[in-house]
Amino acid sequence: MQGRHLLIGMALAIASASAAALEGDSEAARDKLSMCIGCHGIPGYRTAFPEVYPVPKLGGQHAQYIVRALQAYRDETRRHPSMQAIARDLTDQEMADFAAYYSRPQGGAR
Amino acid sequence: MMRRAYLFGAMAMVVAAFPAHAWDAARGKEISAVCSACHGVDGNSPTPDFPIIAGQHAEYLYRSLLDYKLGNRGDPIMQGQVAELSRADMRDLAAYFASQDGLHLKR
Repeated sequence: MQGRHLLIGMALAIASASAAALEGDSEAARDKLSMCIGCHGIPGYRTAFPEVYPVPKLGGQHAQYIVRALQAYRDETRRHPSMQAIARDLTDQEMADFAAYYSRPQGGAR
Repeated sequence: MMRRAYLFGAMAMVVAAFPAHAWDAARGKEISAVCSACHGVDGNSPTPDFPIIAGQHAEYLYRSLLDYKLGNRGDPIMQGQVAELSRADMRDLAAYFASQDGLHLKR
């Protein structure tokens, strides 16, 4: 019985580890950054639709949180027209790459 | 002298044009203890489960809080947190965390 619990525990641990940790490559993100910087890279840029407010700063954010936000847009559990449209076509790897790029601390190697 | 009176009058009108609680970061800090439990004292959350909010645009933070309150954005924790917050509270909290060092604009 105890052995079985251990086995289930190990299986769960492996499953969650493989789901969570895709290694992001910030260099790989560079080729695709154009879809982000048009809004997130311009000082003072404001959303145009559906409501007007400054687009959030992403620099220095936790990578894991950025991935979760993108996944939520892709799954449509979080709504914003342009972000949903962008996230719809992103792979998990691309999300991890963007997250790696934006999560780097300021002043660190680019 | 007359000119100074005009200036004073103009300033008084500007002050009056803004609501009593206009993005008061100091007051925001006073009511931020409950936020700090997850987001860190200054908004630099220590764990990736919770986003860093330090240095984020105040208007964006306010917008996020308002979206939770209006049900436009769903998150069981945040929806519970904002239930008791007034719009003035949310503006003040947004102003406080926005004024801290944290996130930056990355090109």
